[in-house]
Amino acid sequence: MAEIDFERRLERLFGEAPEAPDAQAFAERVERRLNRGWTARRWLIGAAGLAGGVIGASQLLMSNLFHRMETAEQSARALGQGLSRVTPATDMVSALSGGYGLWLAVGLAVITLGFVVSRMIEEI
Amino acid sequence: MKGPPQSSFASLHDVELCSYAAAGERRAFGELVRRHGSAVRHLLRRMGAQPAEADDTAQDAFLAAFERIAEFRGEGTFAGWVKRIAARQYLRRLQRQKRLSAFAAEGGEDEVPAASGDADGRIDLDEGLKTLSPGERLCVSMCYGAGLSHGEAADALNLPLGTVKSHVKRGLEKLRARLAPADDAVLEGKRGNG
Repeated sequence: MAEIDFERRLERLFGEAPEAPDAQAFAERVERRLNRGWTARRWLIGAAGLAGGVIGASQLLMSNLFHRMETAEQSARALGQGLSRVTPATDMVSALSGGYGLWLAVGLAVITLGFVVSRMIEEI
Repeated sequence: MKGPPQSSFASLHDVELCSYAAAGERRAFGELVRRHGSAVRHLLRRMGAQPAEADDTAQDAFLAAFERIAEFRGEGTFAGWVKRIAARQYLRRLQRQKRLSAFAAEGGEDEVPAASGDADGRIDLDEGLKTLSPGERLCVSMCYGAGLSHGEAADALNLPLGTVKSHVKRGLEKLRARLAPADDAVLEGKRGNG
């Protein structure tokens, strides 16, 4: 038998592996490990997103945001008063112009930053 | 990408399953493991791994393959690609356990046992591989089972190319002595029938 024929035969024999009796169980073990890794990754991404959001929000708060918000608040209040003369439906504007609005904005900023960081890490 | 239900993954081609897996569909990858897990584990055993060690290494290889699935371009077969990953993982494992040097050392001139004349080539191959020295077995399995070139095997084993070639040559001679008679018997049978 020529050398090349023998080598081909050898490759074919190597390719003919019998189906293991526990092939299904083996595949399930691999899938479980994949899922476990994925869950751990999601937790890590979530934690990273939350940390990023908190850091981002704290940076916003420390960058003289309160002062700027107060200025904006006064403007909004003046605007609200002006609008109240035009229409009685200004409850929402005045509610948002108070301290409640500030914390709502901060909360939204934390959630948005967390979401953006999570998406960016998942995409990477 | 949302994939089809689990049952329909079984009808998809490996390349399609790889596309789903690359999009993060783990059930599609599970189907690939179901199809090729046995072959990968069997190759590792043929390289000399114990059954439990072969299973662990095969699992690690499939996890590594899932991480790198985007690198698989479908140029060869998925099974061949995973086998190469698994072979390299096994070598790394041997290196970590400082067993590789003993495995890959030059083997002595072993006596080639007589051919068994086993009709089943697969069993014959498994038995034949047992008669090879660890280095010969590793090199032959890597080149003919995992599809690595002599150069790639030399790189992976961190051995000179000439050493790998001589391992392969001696290994082939021993296997040829063991496997060839079965072929002759088949040819004889064909002649007798014709």
